[in-house]
Amino acid sequence: MVTESPKETGRRKAVSWLTDNRVVRSIFRRGYPDNDLDRAAVMFSNFFLHVLPARTHVHSLKPTYTWGLGIISLFLFVVLLGTGSLLMFFYVPSTGRAYSDMKDLQFVVSYGVVLRNLHRWAAHAMVAVVFLHMCRVFYTASYKAPREFNWVIGVLLWGATLMMSFTGYLLPWDQLAYWAITVGSSIASYPPLVGEHIRTLMLGGDTVGQNALIRFYVMHVIVLPGIMMILMGVHFWRIRKDGGLSRPPAPPSETARGEAAAFSPHKTYMLVELAEGRTPMVDTQAPEEEVMSWPHTVFRMLVVFVGVVAVLSAVAYFFDAPLEELANPDHPPNPAKAPWYFLGLQEIVSYSALAGGVIVPAAAIIGLMTIPYVDRNPEGQGAWFTSDQGRRITLWSILVVIPVVLVLTWLNEHYAVRILVPGASQIWVDLLNPGTILIALFAAGSLYIWRRTGSSRMGALALYSYFLTSYVIYTLIGLYFRGANWAWIWPWQATGLH
Amino acid sequence: MSASLDEQTPRRRLLLGLGWVSFLVSLLGPVLANVRFLFPNVVYEGESVLKLDSVEKYLVGSITFFTDKKIVLFREKDGFRACTAVCPHLRCVISPFVGAPGSAPDILRARCPCHGSTFDGRGQVLGGPAPRGLDFFRVTKSPDGRVVVDTRKIVAPSEHFKL
Repeated sequence: MVTESPKETGRRKAVSWLTDNRVVRSIFRRGYPDNDLDRAAVMFSNFFLHVLPARTHVHSLKPTYTWGLGIISLFLFVVLLGTGSLLMFFYVPSTGRAYSDMKDLQFVVSYGVVLRNLHRWAAHAMVAVVFLHMCRVFYTASYKAPREFNWVIGVLLWGATLMMSFTGYLLPWDQLAYWAITVGSSIASYPPLVGEHIRTLMLGGDTVGQNALIRFYVMHVIVLPGIMMILMGVHFWRIRKDGGLSRPPAPPSETARGEAAAFSPHKTYMLVELAEGRTPMVDTQAPEEEVMSWPHTVFRMLVVFVGVVAVLSAVAYFFDAPLEELANPDHPPNPAKAPWYFLGLQEIVSYSALAGGVIVPAAAIIGLMTIPYVDRNPEGQGAWFTSDQGRRITLWSILVVIPVVLVLTWLNEHYAVRILVPGASQIWVDLLNPGTILIALFAAGSLYIWRRTGSSRMGALALYSYFLTSYVIYTLIGLYFRGANWAWIWPWQATGLH
Repeated sequence: MSASLDEQTPRRRLLLGLGWVSFLVSLLGPVLANVRFLFPNVVYEGESVLKLDSVEKYLVGSITFFTDKKIVLFREKDGFRACTAVCPHLRCVISPFVGAPGSAPDILRARCPCHGSTFDGRGQVLGGPAPRGLDFFRVTKSPDGRVVVDTRKIVAPSEHFKL
């Protein structure tokens, strides 16, 4: 037996006095988990930890597999809830007060500018990180059975994140907000039959005014966060129910049960032993590939959380969230630009509002949601880009799209429908523009690759890479290559947003 | 008690079916009521009948751009015409019309700053993404001799209000 020095004994007594008293025991039931039984127990006896498993597969903890993008999204959401709730104490959603409340937050309220910066940058980061998370899930084929439905929930969460950002954009009531929402809500009026009703429903009237401000506010602070929390709850719950994070299928183990054991009338069975079928966990992992979630998973989550808060704090300290002059309904800034994550759509909207506002987003969302039900073979689960062939197809898909998009943009500048035929009918503009042409090309290209390789996964890889690359290029064009009257400029000619 | 649906009498099945149908129908009412609730019946967004200056103030050949009212007033030798200054693409305010004073409507040009749609003085789309032309409004004169533009009444771009 090892003898303790008096100093160590003192330390142990102090720790035990702090953690092993009636009050702490009434909250946590067990002392600090220093053995595997308690480490398992802490995971299901703690309300906040019980969504996590007692043991985690080592593959799920590989930073180069997940890049922590899902958990970073969650932590950004938590930061947004905290900062947003605080900002609400100093913000009144009235067209007469909203802008001056922003100025007060910037110059009068203690730490107001820091909280506003944190909220704005966390929102931008969340839009980006949720999108990257979707890319990670796609390129590791994690949407395949049994995770198809959780992928659909994820697509909905991505849409909800964009709507959160969009509704928050109006609240400062500055020029940027006013005209971005004027343009954005007008895009919503383009779907046939219901379009104008959607716009009226969004704005509570016909112009962006007080009715629109209060509607966006209620959506931003109650409706959308509520929807997101429910969807996130389902999303995390389903990860557990679908067998944890995706990973490559395990080689068939020697201990796998072949025949089900005969039912014995002399034994007491637990409910799980009576249930029909198998859980998704059966035969997929061996004990030696697992580690205790406490501390391995919990500690990593803590590190990620600290990292997220540290990076956000640094950015919020050095960069102020933009605030332009007061909204002026008479005079749009020139060019009037949407938030950066909608600039790719705005570029296509500048060819045809029907293409950019309806056809392309509808194709993207329907395409994303149906991918797991079309690409059904289990190939490539848990491995980046599936195989060497998948890696090649992804790379070539990205490389092919760049010149195609640039050539189409150039053609549109010089040979657009209305340049060739001035006053041409709108039908031709809606049919023949880079947006619709690209959708047709992408569909043809991915079907060709599916046919050629005989693998729906390869077709899906190509399709996703096409959309991803073209969206990034159009966003960059909208950001840096569009000036007054949405005319083509070079980045060094940019004169700011006026 | 635990008889399956197949073993039940047809009358029981019918009643159960009716119960389900009436339950679903009863849900429809509240849902529609809540959706209808969100559509406003009255909005306070300023006047739709706009009263401008007296008719003599506008010289023949002049084009007046009303920023706050978002309309453009043309005084031509045939009379008055008025069109919206809101681009039909995504509702940005267009730039004022440019062209030599007194030039024919098809020579005039206006551009939208947001996505570069171009219009002539008849409101027609010449280029850019605008799906249709600018709307023209009914122009009249009030009893006290002022120009009145009724933005609820859309008219043909060629229709003039003759004095």
